[in-house]
Amino acid sequence: MSIAGDLIRGHTDAIILARLLRSDSYGYEINKTISTLSCGRFELKEATLYTAFKRLEEAGYITSYWGSSGAGARRRYYTITPAGREASGRLLQEWEETKDIMDKLLETRE
Amino acid sequence: MRNKLISYVDLLFAGNPNTEDIKQEILQNTLDRYDDLIAQGKSPEAAYSLAISGIGDISEIIGSAASQGASDNQSGAKAKKNEGDSKLLRAVAVALYILCPVPLFIIQNEIGLCLLLVMVAVATALMVISNSQKRKEQNVYVIHLTPQQKLRKGIRSAINTAGLVIYFVISFATGAWFITWLVFPIAATISELVGACMDLKEEKNEK
Repeated sequence: MSIAGDLIRGHTDAIILARLLRSDSYGYEINKTISTLSCGRFELKEATLYTAFKRLEEAGYITSYWGSSGAGARRRYYTITPAGREASGRLLQEWEETKDIMDKLLETRE
Repeated sequence: MRNKLISYVDLLFAGNPNTEDIKQEILQNTLDRYDDLIAQGKSPEAAYSLAISGIGDISEIIGSAASQGASDNQSGAKAKKNEGDSKLLRAVAVALYILCPVPLFIIQNEIGLCLLLVMVAVATALMVISNSQKRKEQNVYVIHLTPQQKLRKGIRSAINTAGLVIYFVISFATGAWFITWLVFPIAATISELVGACMDLKEEKNEK
């Protein structure tokens, strides 16, 4: 998880927004989903995740609220805002373009 | 083990104001991970170390929270000003150290010597004030000195003190005040050399 990890980490914001598009969620749940979807090959550190939440919140793409679930656990949940939905769409489009370009650039067959 | 994890996260954020919310959030995520790992059949020890390694480097978060707290109290600008002040104090102190033999050149008797000592005393006082200001701003980082850094700090202050002692002993013994100040640049050079040697050794050890 070295080079690929760095490449994926560059898209942390897009990944988090895409997760929150589905439903409100909290840190560990998002990370768990990321881990499951990548078949355990990728996971974010708490610090990275937290920094990204902070950045997205400051940009107005997400908001947060404290929620409690069961055994007295206080969790900070995140919700995507309309601006966040827009940003998520834009990032997805950017990624599609990037993927397209990279596919062409790395194509070895003539 | 779960309690140990809580104490670990507590310790991670200890001494950092304005981080209570961050701590709660990171602690809860880390506990969730721990519980999940236990549910997957990991041993408490393995789950503990995996959960901790999942936290990553939080120094940046703490740093930004601290500076945010500072600007919340509208003291962000003050902290910057303090930093500038402490740099200025240090600059004046160094200038005094360099210029301290001048009175002795001009008035070659006890009065000149007294003036020299007064200049050294003032310069040292300025250094102390500047350092204490610096420490106040950086209290977030001061607690994280590694053993090597502590050792280095000790060696450095030992060399500086030895330099001062040697300076006075030689000066009083020979009366050659006009040249003995060279002890200080020499001491500084030795101090830097020792630091560089330790850096080199550490790098090798890491490899």
